[in-house]
Amino acid sequence: MKVLAAGVVPLLLVLHWKHGAASPLPITPVNATCATRHPCHGNLMNQIKNQLAQLNGSANALFISYYTAQGEPFPNNLDKLCGPNMTDFPPFHANGTEKAKLVELYRLVAYLGASLGNVTRDQKILNPNALSLHSKLNATTDTMRGLLSNVLCRLCNKYHVGHVDVTYGPDTAGKDAFQKKKLGCQLLGTYKQVISLVAQAF
Amino acid sequence: MAFSVVLQKAFLLALLSLRAYQNEVFDEPIQLVPEVQNVSTSSKPQQVNLQWTVPNLAHHQELKMMLQIEISRIKTSNVIQVVNYTTTVKWNQVMHWNWKPDIPLECVKYFLRIRGMVDDDKFLLQSSWSNWSSWQEAHIPVSLEPNTVLVFPEDPLVEEGSNITICSVYGRNQHNVSCYLQEKPIPGEQLDSHVSIFNLNNVVFFRDTGTNFFCNSIDTKLEDGIVLFVSKVLEEPKNFSCETQDFKTLNCIWEPGVDTALAWKQQPPQNYTLFESFSGRRKLCNKSSCDWQITDDSQEIYNFTLIAKNYLRTRSVSVSFHLTHRVYLKAPHNVSLEIINTTKAHMTWKVHSRGNDYTLLCQIELLCEKEVIHEHNVSVHMSGDYLFNDLDPDTEYKASVRCADATHFWKWSNWAEKTFSTPEAAPSEALDVWRIVRSKNGSRIVTLFWKPLSKSRANGKILFYNIVAENQDKPAKSKHCSIPAPASDTQLTLDQSSYKLHITANNSVGMSPETILVLSRESGNQEVVEKRINGTKDGFLISWEPRSRDVISYIVDWCAHSQNQLCDLQWKNLGPNTTSTIISSDAFKPGVRYNFRIFEIPVQGPVYLVEKQTGYTQELAPLESPEVLTSNLTSHSFTLSWQGYASQFQAGFIQGYRVYLKSKEMHCHSGWDKVLLSDNSVCCNYDIKDPKQKIFTVENLRPESDYEFSVRSYTSVGENQNATFMMVTTPDEHSHMLLKTMLPMSLCVLLIMVVCYWKSQWVKETCYPDIPNPSKSSILSPIKYMQNPHLTIMNVKDCIPDVLEVINKAEGTKTLYTGAGKLHAENVTKLPPVPTEKDSCGPVPCIFFENFTYDQLAFDSDSHGHVPGPLKDILCQLGPLTPPKNLLNVLGNSNMKSLTGSPTEETSLIYVSQLASPTCGDKDSLTTNLPRPVHCSEYKMQMAVPPSLASPALSKNSDLSSMILLGKGEP
Repeated sequence: MKVLAAGVVPLLLVLHWKHGAASPLPITPVNATCATRHPCHGNLMNQIKNQLAQLNGSANALFISYYTAQGEPFPNNLDKLCGPNMTDFPPFHANGTEKAKLVELYRLVAYLGASLGNVTRDQKILNPNALSLHSKLNATTDTMRGLLSNVLCRLCNKYHVGHVDVTYGPDTAGKDAFQKKKLGCQLLGTYKQVISLVAQAF
Repeated sequence: MAFSVVLQKAFLLALLSLRAYQNEVFDEPIQLVPEVQNVSTSSKPQQVNLQWTVPNLAHHQELKMMLQIEISRIKTSNVIQVVNYTTTVKWNQVMHWNWKPDIPLECVKYFLRIRGMVDDDKFLLQSSWSNWSSWQEAHIPVSLEPNTVLVFPEDPLVEEGSNITICSVYGRNQHNVSCYLQEKPIPGEQLDSHVSIFNLNNVVFFRDTGTNFFCNSIDTKLEDGIVLFVSKVLEEPKNFSCETQDFKTLNCIWEPGVDTALAWKQQPPQNYTLFESFSGRRKLCNKSSCDWQITDDSQEIYNFTLIAKNYLRTRSVSVSFHLTHRVYLKAPHNVSLEIINTTKAHMTWKVHSRGNDYTLLCQIELLCEKEVIHEHNVSVHMSGDYLFNDLDPDTEYKASVRCADATHFWKWSNWAEKTFSTPEAAPSEALDVWRIVRSKNGSRIVTLFWKPLSKSRANGKILFYNIVAENQDKPAKSKHCSIPAPASDTQLTLDQSSYKLHITANNSVGMSPETILVLSRESGNQEVVEKRINGTKDGFLISWEPRSRDVISYIVDWCAHSQNQLCDLQWKNLGPNTTSTIISSDAFKPGVRYNFRIFEIPVQGPVYLVEKQTGYTQELAPLESPEVLTSNLTSHSFTLSWQGYASQFQAGFIQGYRVYLKSKEMHCHSGWDKVLLSDNSVCCNYDIKDPKQKIFTVENLRPESDYEFSVRSYTSVGENQNATFMMVTTPDEHSHMLLKTMLPMSLCVLLIMVVCYWKSQWVKETCYPDIPNPSKSSILSPIKYMQNPHLTIMNVKDCIPDVLEVINKAEGTKTLYTGAGKLHAENVTKLPPVPTEKDSCGPVPCIFFENFTYDQLAFDSDSHGHVPGPLKDILCQLGPLTPPKNLLNVLGNSNMKSLTGSPTEETSLIYVSQLASPTCGDKDSLTTNLPRPVHCSEYKMQMAVPPSLASPALSKNSDLSSMILLGKGEP
């Protein structure tokens, strides 16, 4: 029973895009059968570009809202507490092929989606009154969910890639409050930078 | 039971005797040394748990022991605290002791040891401290990398105002570590090379989501932090009390104070628990109230303890009471009211009582228009009643009742209310009536005024007012009228008889006592001298001299609006012994004159006007300036009058008038003062100190001079400032003489001219006829006879015609021209018939001979419309016309020559066409319509006229031309 709770449930949560999951997806062969749950939209790349532009446009506001809600010393020590120095962040190469970029984007968005889920969960506990921040986090998470679906569709339809190996960030459930704030701030600082590059790459 | 106790004590004594014996043997006291079983630590909350036992206890032995625990920090010799406490130890039982370290366990090591001493009465022998247990280390190890900065404790929870120590642990490469609370740097104390502590004293609550505390290394820019959660101090519940309404449930309430909840589940809201000590029951309550079920009817006394608790503190408050002393009754029910009459009502109600044995105190209130007018307390058992007296008729009341336990008063119940109204009654007071009497056409116009009855006197809605005018002299001529409410005045027309007026107010139940006014034949408005009084802002003090002793009352009346048409009569009824009163009113305004009349109402006889008084609450300067009329303007004087100036309606008593006069010479005559006006102009001023004088003659003026004058009224406050100056100019000294002579002369001349004009025709015909008739001319005849007695009639043959006019005349037509002059057909030469205007398109449409008059005036004037073009044009226009030979000859001689020359060269004569027809006489028509035949049908006679006579008598040329035509037409 404990095994079920520790392994299967997070996996199901990840598959269904629920908050709190942080386990890596099992690696599957590249030539596996490509199957999506929903029919793919016609103009996928445009949609992907628009979603990336939307995320890029809102990333800075989300970042500001986040560190403001954490209180001092965060707003005045962004370089120390919110610097983009995350080591396990998925790489992205802007000069790759479209397929390679889509695969990396998939990994990136999967990573970000899971991490933002954790941040949203933590902030609802740490800062229950920061409704504006909650709203921005939810909106970003929703957009990422749609983006991930579109990227997967594109990979399936054009490149017949049904599965991509993904990684997730550390679970912050056991961290103390300050560490949760700090990790969330680092994540959003990194996200702000990376999403800008990604949006330009497509 | 007693046996077992005795047995146990005996066993203990035996055991201890045995130990004593052993110690004596070994020469040592008895020692029970605690043995530390385990030392555990927890990070959150920071705590050290010491587990120990007393291994030497006998089987099932219990002893009360005093324990002493020594705590050292960093090293065993650095004792920081010694704790003593007493507990009961049992055989084979692990004892626990918790301790909260001041510096987090992650930062420093603590060492603890324990010793004990028997402190039990059962232990009869003297005891002493045992040996110390061995030192036990308490510490939470952390994984410390060389480039690490860590802050402890994790997310601490403290109470506002308390102190906390936060520590920072850093690796060997970190030396310069700074820590901040929010943004505020916190000075640290370095414990060793890797640990610094930061003492936060008297921490304050910042927000329920915590306060950030963080440290960073300046060398490597590494940082770590914690969130410090500061809880507000839990307050003791206030005003804790319990009461019952039905003896089934106790309702306990209290004021909880501040909420100490924190975010992130660090601390939930404080909880409240109610504990009753006699029953031992406990109940978890909500934040500010708790319902406690009374399960045991026999329990009368309750001892409640309310416990408030959060993670950091517990507060409690207790209350003990007898149940019957905490009875908060429910509001009375079944309240009913029975209206007995217009002034009485009976109220009954029932109460929620435990039975007839309980006495309740009930409070009754009677409210009218939201004011308590009656209050009374009565004792009841199961039900109560009360009689309300002295109520006012036609009034709405609200009766209220509430009850409480009479024996042990705790609290009033809620009010039970009932609204009721008393029925109407007849008005209880006579109307206050006054009148104004005026005479008109032998009748008396009596205007009656009355003041509406107050609600307490009307006793219902007044429907109408009855007025009966009883004729004292002729009872048959009495009048009766009914005035519907809400009128407050009416007008009666009465004859000169004595009348007694009966006035009553009526509602649906009856009528008021009548008010009687007597109107005798005498008016009662005797002429009395008006007295001036000075009012104040508070009103007027009116005093008068009583006239007689047999007086019913005095009445002072005045108009509230003295300056308006609407008088709004006010009056004040005063007692017979009154000789003064103060009339005050909010309607009194400064600058308004109020006239007061004091009447005496005698026992017998007519109303007598005692005095008239007039005054202002505050006099002001006049607001209106007199409208001045000037008259009798001469070269040396003029008269000013302002008779229409209503001085009685001014803002103060007019004391006089000031006449201001401005002139160029600025010389003021005797009686005039030179004054400087507000606009810095200088003028002469004459002061008229008689306010009745409203006419003034300004004298000693210069002829043909401009004067400006202004008349201003003044009161005791000052003069009117709005007056403007008016201009007057004195005439010439002789102008009136000239006017007296010239006017009649002009009229005479004018009359002569009119007569002349009127008789001009007669004079002309008589003196200078167009065709002198020797038989008619009576004036010239004597002259002619005198000059040439042989020539009496002018011979036609002697005349040489210079102008010939051919008249186009229809057959049978006798008159050629019907202008102002008269042309006789008999004098015109008959010519062949010419076509009329209708058949003018023939080859010879008309015959046109232009005849010219020598007229210098016409020549000089460009606007003359009858100046023709060159004669040859006209001849061309005539076309195939063949004029008579003699006519062409005439034209070809002197006249032709003149016409062909430049008109400007002929300054003495000009040919003026007198053809009146628009088709051939108009100059433009002549030039533009040359090819067309000329539709003329008449020949106008023309003549040579001297310039001096040409213009005014052009209309009469036709007569003259006729005379000339006859002169040389037929040689």
